Amino acid sequence: MEKSHNLKGRNMSALLRLSSAIDAVTAFIGRSVSWLILVAVLVSAGNAIIRKAFDISSNAWLELQWYLYGAVFLLAAAYTLQKNEHVRIDIVTSGFKKITRDWIDLLGHIFFLMPFCLLMVYLGWPFFINSFNNGEISLNAGGLVIWPAKLLILCCFILLTAQAISEIIKRIAVIKGIIDDPTQQHELPPAVEEFESAADIEDRMANK
Amino acid sequence: MIEIIAHNLAPIMFISVMAMLLIGYPVAFTLAAGGLIFFVIGVELSNYSSEIRLFYPLIQSLGNRTFDIMRNDTLLAIPFFTFMGLVLERSRMAEDLLETIGQLFGPLRGGLAFAVIIVGGLLGATTGVVAASVIAMGLISLPIMMRYGYDRSVATGTIAASGTLAQIVPPSLVLIVMSDQLGRSVGDMYVGALLPALMIMGMYCLYIFGLTLVSPKKVPALPIEARTLGGGVTSLLVVIAIAVGIHFALYEIVFSDLRYETRFVWSATIATALALGFSLINRQFKLGIISRLAEQVVIVLIPPLALIFLVLGTIFLGIATPTEGGAMGATGALVLALFKRRLTITTLKEALDSTTKLTAFVMFILIGARVFGLTFYGINGHIWIEELLLALPGGETGFLVVVTVIVFVLGCFLDFFEIAFIVVPLLVGPAESLGIDLIWLGIVLGINLQTSFLTPPFGFALFYLRSISPKNDWDDEVTGERIEGIKTTQIYKGVLPYIAIQFIAIMLVIFYPRLVTHYKDDVVQFNIDEVEIQLPGLGGGLGGQENGGGLPGLGGNGPPGLGLPNQNGGGLSLPGGLNLNNSGPAGLPNQGASGSNESQSNGGGLGLPGALNLNDQPLNLGNEPPNTDP
Repeated sequence: MEKSHNLKGRNMSALLRLSSAIDAVTAFIGRSVSWLILVAVLVSAGNAIIRKAFDISSNAWLELQWYLYGAVFLLAAAYTLQKNEHVRIDIVTSGFKKITRDWIDLLGHIFFLMPFCLLMVYLGWPFFINSFNNGEISLNAGGLVIWPAKLLILCCFILLTAQAISEIIKRIAVIKGIIDDPTQQHELPPAVEEFESAADIEDRMANK
Repeated sequence: MIEIIAHNLAPIMFISVMAMLLIGYPVAFTLAAGGLIFFVIGVELSNYSSEIRLFYPLIQSLGNRTFDIMRNDTLLAIPFFTFMGLVLERSRMAEDLLETIGQLFGPLRGGLAFAVIIVGGLLGATTGVVAASVIAMGLISLPIMMRYGYDRSVATGTIAASGTLAQIVPPSLVLIVMSDQLGRSVGDMYVGALLPALMIMGMYCLYIFGLTLVSPKKVPALPIEARTLGGGVTSLLVVIAIAVGIHFALYEIVFSDLRYETRFVWSATIATALALGFSLINRQFKLGIISRLAEQVVIVLIPPLALIFLVLGTIFLGIATPTEGGAMGATGALVLALFKRRLTITTLKEALDSTTKLTAFVMFILIGARVFGLTFYGINGHIWIEELLLALPGGETGFLVVVTVIVFVLGCFLDFFEIAFIVVPLLVGPAESLGIDLIWLGIVLGINLQTSFLTPPFGFALFYLRSISPKNDWDDEVTGERIEGIKTTQIYKGVLPYIAIQFIAIMLVIFYPRLVTHYKDDVVQFNIDEVEIQLPGLGGGLGGQENGGGLPGLGGNGPPGLGLPNQNGGGLSLPGGLNLNNSGPAGLPNQGASGSNESQSNGGGLGLPGALNLNDQPLNLGNEPPNTDP
């Protein structure tokens, strides 16, 4: 009896290690791709200026912009999930007990998120590999190769699946009381908090 | 039984998915899951009802649907404008503006409130982020207003309402997302939003002006000792007059052989640079040629005005697409923050990190909404909604009023992104069959969503303001007096008059569509005087300008009378492109600049990769060159 309990405990801690490994990878990717926004900004502004000044333009530069942006939001989706920043409508549930909300999250991860992610991975593979094998190129003159963009979609949902697994593990551990809740809790909607933290209120208050 | 379910699958699906959203699981994934569940149900029931057009292979289109979202050029503006807002926030532009404009208007009764409204509009035209505006104004202006005896409700209400101006003043995210979902050009949406936005600001000012007459105690002027910059409005007016004079002199004489846009850009840039340079020199060497007030106003106002020009000016002149305008604005904001020594690696990282998470959740709501849409349209849900909405009495007006009410109610607990991605696409069909102009609809919805930021208890602007305004009593640092904390009910009471104003504004736009629809006026040969009449001329009297050029607008999107519909007949060859009337760049100089039309078709158009409907149309609004007779 005790042995099996130990075994379970060991399994759980192995799972939790897996979960933190996943979290580390998705967070690293999420933080890294955020720099691509800066690149996209500069490419877009530069492209507009050069086009106007020298009448030179290339579709490659235009396409590069959405490649970059696509990479950002697709690859950062898992990171955003980890930070609990995908927006929810919680007017009904915010009054519920913590344990109820934990169960909602757990069931949501298993029955809403997982099937969607797995389906998209299943669909994303042929979507990418066909494009890759055909060497598909954008139909715009001077356009870029398309398969990397489709690969991004596949990667996005693979990362999201991994993050979903990590979230499920963490949620079970939280419900069982094995760990404290590691997920960020938001009192306000994420968008509100995001702008507030960006506004560095404390700093401003201190300056006054 | 099964037949009944099969025939009513659309309403069942709609209500079930809405109920699922209330469970409180992230919206993006709930929508996707709801779409998939009902996809399976739909396919299984497809034998029972001819209305269901679903079959399993259809699910494969999800890959392409995601890919279409990815290469949507319009939505690319979201990260650009968000990033710009976050960087500007850090550059403390709002603080400088509030302090200076407050000094400028302070001596007037209600002056501080006017300053808040004007700065709210200026911030809206640059940062476009409600949180940034409300937080800055709440931190800077609120304590000053309290110190000099403003009524608490008036002060908080004005700050919250002016902050929401960021939602309706171009280049707001709401307008971008709205035009994407409605399949119209962002540029048209911006032009359409200009007058309503100015009108709303005017109404706010009118309300404050009314207060100064009815209960002046609520909105006192700054006492003499608080007017730190002193007087000197005359020299400010002189500086402005000289700068405008230089602009026109350059425009008419020095650059007269350049192309219209280039000509305008150069003369405006040089004139403002001169004014700024002069003020800086005046300050540096204490010349005292102009008053300190004038000097400070010029120095503080020019950076935001330059940014506004960089974003809106380039879009309206057709130099940049709205997306590029966003990128230019973001670059400008970075430069500004660098100059003000407010840009560190940490700030930059934080701004990028926030932008990333925000855009990820926004785009995923859209991806989820597309999965939902695949099923919902497959079971003819849009036809159900259309029939429901078309059965309303009152035609156009009835439709708009009901939509206003629905969106207002939804806006009380849904984010504007959710409304834009789920509800707005469903309104397109019915609106088109009623012959409603989609830009007009977009602006009505935009003002609606702006209002939803103000409505207790879930209005975001109220959240922001509550979180930074002191709940407890505090000692004022200047006068040393004890000032009472601000109660939540005072904030709620303060926004009520503004909510009423918003409703009046919505009604005005519904009943006077000319406020918006002037965007599609053909460019006629107006001279500058007529242009100036056009701006305030709300409605009537302008009919003569429609079709003035004798060119039928192509389905309402026609290129303004240039006689050069540069349709890059590429609609077919562009992947997935539905309707690519890229009629070249905007509002080309309609006269004088002959020969400037070559190469223009590359301007806005060429590369816009196959998004839905990229009518990057020229916008001509009061930016016409004066009518120079050749």
